[in-house]
Amino acid sequence: MEQKLRQEAKALLEQGKVDWIIGFEPGSFKFSTTPLITKDKNDADRLVINPFIVNNLASFLTEIKGRVGIVAKGCDSRSIVSLIQDNKVVREDVVILGVPCPGIIDLAKVERLAGKDRDELDDITREEDKVIIKFDGEKKEFSTTQALFDNCLACELPTPQEYDILLGEPRPPAPNLEVSGEDIEKLKGLVPGQRWEFWQNELSRCIRCYACRNVCPACYCQRCFVEETEPQWALPVPRWQDNLIFQIVRNIHMAGRCTDCGECERVCPVNIPLRSLTREMYDIVDELFHFKAGMDKEALPLMTHYEQEEAEDLFR
Amino acid sequence: MKQQSEWEPKLVGFLCKWCSYAGADLAGTSRKKYPANIRIIKVPCSGRVDPLFILKALRLGFDGVLVSGCHPGECHYQTGNYRARRRVAITKKFLEYMGIEPQRIQASWVSASEGGKFAEVVAEVTKGLKEIGPNQLFSERQGDGTKATARG
Repeated sequence: MEQKLRQEAKALLEQGKVDWIIGFEPGSFKFSTTPLITKDKNDADRLVINPFIVNNLASFLTEIKGRVGIVAKGCDSRSIVSLIQDNKVVREDVVILGVPCPGIIDLAKVERLAGKDRDELDDITREEDKVIIKFDGEKKEFSTTQALFDNCLACELPTPQEYDILLGEPRPPAPNLEVSGEDIEKLKGLVPGQRWEFWQNELSRCIRCYACRNVCPACYCQRCFVEETEPQWALPVPRWQDNLIFQIVRNIHMAGRCTDCGECERVCPVNIPLRSLTREMYDIVDELFHFKAGMDKEALPLMTHYEQEEAEDLFR
Repeated sequence: MKQQSEWEPKLVGFLCKWCSYAGADLAGTSRKKYPANIRIIKVPCSGRVDPLFILKALRLGFDGVLVSGCHPGECHYQTGNYRARRRVAITKKFLEYMGIEPQRIQASWVSASEGGKFAEVVAEVTKGLKEIGPNQLFSERQGDGTKATARG
């Protein structure tokens, strides 16, 4: 898969079919990968595909001018399709190098499982239904539900639906919704006051670094509402009231755009369970309007169209 | 006479200029009685109501928000209320999940001829708010030194 990617990327750059290639290269930390954005065909040899290619590269698409070849896992392809729906990206200007993805390994989870820092681990390998960690001459096996990212467990689209070049064999979806929806179900069991208190506590940790917003492919506004001063919707200081307004409204804005790629939760420096918000909004949109973001590039964006009869039970 | 200390909910109503606002007007001219708890803000169309308005009202301490517009299919601008319906629906559902009582976010369709319905809606919503009590969602927690004030 990696060889094929390198060849295709090189060919695309050589033939002038794209100006840029966006992919992954080995990161500076052990096992980690980092985005590679390049115009140079010689850089194509640095591209990698492994179980650690975590970033959603679609977020770079709205920032780069020109034709782009982009490596996309299933979730990333949904984000790209969502951007095409919103007219932020022209389909003809992107060459999607689709990667059928078996799920990405969460290094934080692996560290917890092994009880060791990632630098002390010798090897992490992925087999079909297990993850094998080697350290100190030992070999430990864990199930994929223990070691993969939560959102990978709920993945509905491991193989990109929209692609130009598919780099491997398509994989069927096998969402493990029970495990992935656990936190939300637990929250729904609480009375409203307790839920509000839960989010108060979680969001009181927020330092308003806006990493969640900046990493999100669907958050592409030139000027975010939290930065508006006249009127001022939320104060730009990390107080829990304003943090709550920021996250609530961010999620409302993401309705019908969020593909539940889980990037916001992953980058959060204070570990706020943001996916419990995005996932719920994803489910609300699906339940009320039978809409799933990024599945169909011909579909109109959620908030720009309507049905004659819908959600009427919420109105007096 | 009512006791002074009795708490009364504050309700902010975003009413569309063409239907609900006229409906409220009709309620008044036809001498319908409805609670004085509602503070009405006239908007050009229910589609003008941004979820931010709802959040801001709750943040400022209003106990409830009512969004009201023309019945589906009767929007002066053809589709404004359909868009409002999607927006308000997700806002209501999502805030409910966050832990805000569903009674605080209300929406209704009131046409210009439904003065009676407007009075009923306001009465029902106010009753619901009285049951759940004052909005303390954004008020200061004990000991954290923050104040629930907002400007602008």
